[in-house]
Amino acid sequence: MADFKQQLKALLGEAEIYKSQGLVDEARAKYKTAAELIRSKPNIKNRDGLLDAIRAKIGQLQKQQIDADQVVQSPKLSPKAQNLIKNLFIATDEEHPDDAALQAAIMMAKIGQFESAITEFNKLIQKDRLRVAAAKHILQCHLAKSSEREAIEQYRRWIEDGGFPPRQLETVRQYLEEILQQKGIKRRLPSPKIETEDKADQIPEPETESETEEDFIDITSIAISFEGGPHKGKTVEFDVNFQSGNMLSLIISKNEADVLEGLDDGMKLNDIQFFSPIAIFSGAGVVVSKTQIKSGPKQGDYCLDIRITST
Amino acid sequence: MAIFNLKKREIECKIVYYGPGRCGKTTNLEFIFKSYKKQVRGEMVSINTEGDRTLFFDFLPMGLGKIRGCDVRVQLYTVPGQVKYSSTRKLVLRGVDGVVFVADSLEVRREKNMLSLKDLQSNLKEYGKSIFKVPLVMQYNKRDLAEQGIPLMPLEQMERDLNRQLKVPSFPASAVKGAGVGVTLKECLKLTLKALQKEFKWAQ
Repeated sequence: MADFKQQLKALLGEAEIYKSQGLVDEARAKYKTAAELIRSKPNIKNRDGLLDAIRAKIGQLQKQQIDADQVVQSPKLSPKAQNLIKNLFIATDEEHPDDAALQAAIMMAKIGQFESAITEFNKLIQKDRLRVAAAKHILQCHLAKSSEREAIEQYRRWIEDGGFPPRQLETVRQYLEEILQQKGIKRRLPSPKIETEDKADQIPEPETESETEEDFIDITSIAISFEGGPHKGKTVEFDVNFQSGNMLSLIISKNEADVLEGLDDGMKLNDIQFFSPIAIFSGAGVVVSKTQIKSGPKQGDYCLDIRITST
Repeated sequence: MAIFNLKKREIECKIVYYGPGRCGKTTNLEFIFKSYKKQVRGEMVSINTEGDRTLFFDFLPMGLGKIRGCDVRVQLYTVPGQVKYSSTRKLVLRGVDGVVFVADSLEVRREKNMLSLKDLQSNLKEYGKSIFKVPLVMQYNKRDLAEQGIPLMPLEQMERDLNRQLKVPSFPASAVKGAGVGVTLKECLKLTLKALQKEFKWAQ
């Protein structure tokens, strides 16, 4: 009996330590072992009481886990934290600070900080080389917030304020129209006036994208044909929310999370249809990451990053 | 990649604390923040959840004073250990100059340590770095829990599991008590600065 008591004490002690360390699975396993030990001794006093107490402990752990999963996580990043995220990119790419700033802004958008991302993209709109990419991302931020109207308004403001070279703005118009169309919104957007003497004619057209982006055309949506897993044989279409060169980011609603089952980091996708404003083509990609957005208006939704490996 | 400003004779490098969830990375930084006030150059920034799990990273800037006329600054970062934050870990690792791998000594976390080390290796590889070449130090944390009768892995086993091939300096530690925290950081700084010195041919 002394042995039993010692064993039980040790198991419960271990479980408590793991619980205090936030190691929920490990704590649960120890409580379960303790319960099995008690069940194996039919003659001990207060057997049912002990088992009830352990059940209650396991219940608490389950609640702790659910709370941890559902916890409202920093609703908004502090300016200091946002600056640090920016610096994570910029400090490591001193030679191309604007490209790094673009990547940082895309990262902000990917973690659901759309307003801050828009502020950063707006700064980059001043840079001729990055203007089109930044504008497209601003529109994507509005669309990710489910604000098609604001995306269209933004485009109109760019036409009105005249700060955008017409040829670049025309690229943005085509891009926005295509995305809206995919969302089932048929809208003819006003074209910017492109005059024949437009100096942009003499300037080689958009070297607007960052180095990593220049070789890739805009992908507005993709269709993945699943070759295995729970969705084997199915083809599912996704909108592309952000693009950085060959890296596509898709924001998937938490209500549609089941479609992400089986799409794990590193998974190769050998059959993808890529839809762009100018062509549809087939290719392959790899899942780079699947993360849940922890704050902002898209909290709880998922961000899936796919790198195009061949087209 | 360290930033070396030749004009100002300043060098800024980045050290990342890596390891599985709940192994004590943030606790390491918290102890450094409390205990190395003279060297700390600002606030410790933590982006975490309400349950105090690291959501994005912790950040602590430090100054090491001058080495041969060069002002040396160090940025310490931690990564979120939970498996699901893979892309964040990769981002934080960008431009890393030195790594402290914090392993959990609890027997029940053996596999998590190994998976996290593998994750570090593959993330470094994506940045064109080899785990065998990057300045790296191992820390075997939570040694204090043995006093409470919790099964820990013997240090020899942890060495076999994690350091058999790497053969990097390793230290037992109890971050919560501060034991082994300073020596781990100092060794990582030593290795990192040595590597930078070699790379930049600096301070010769």
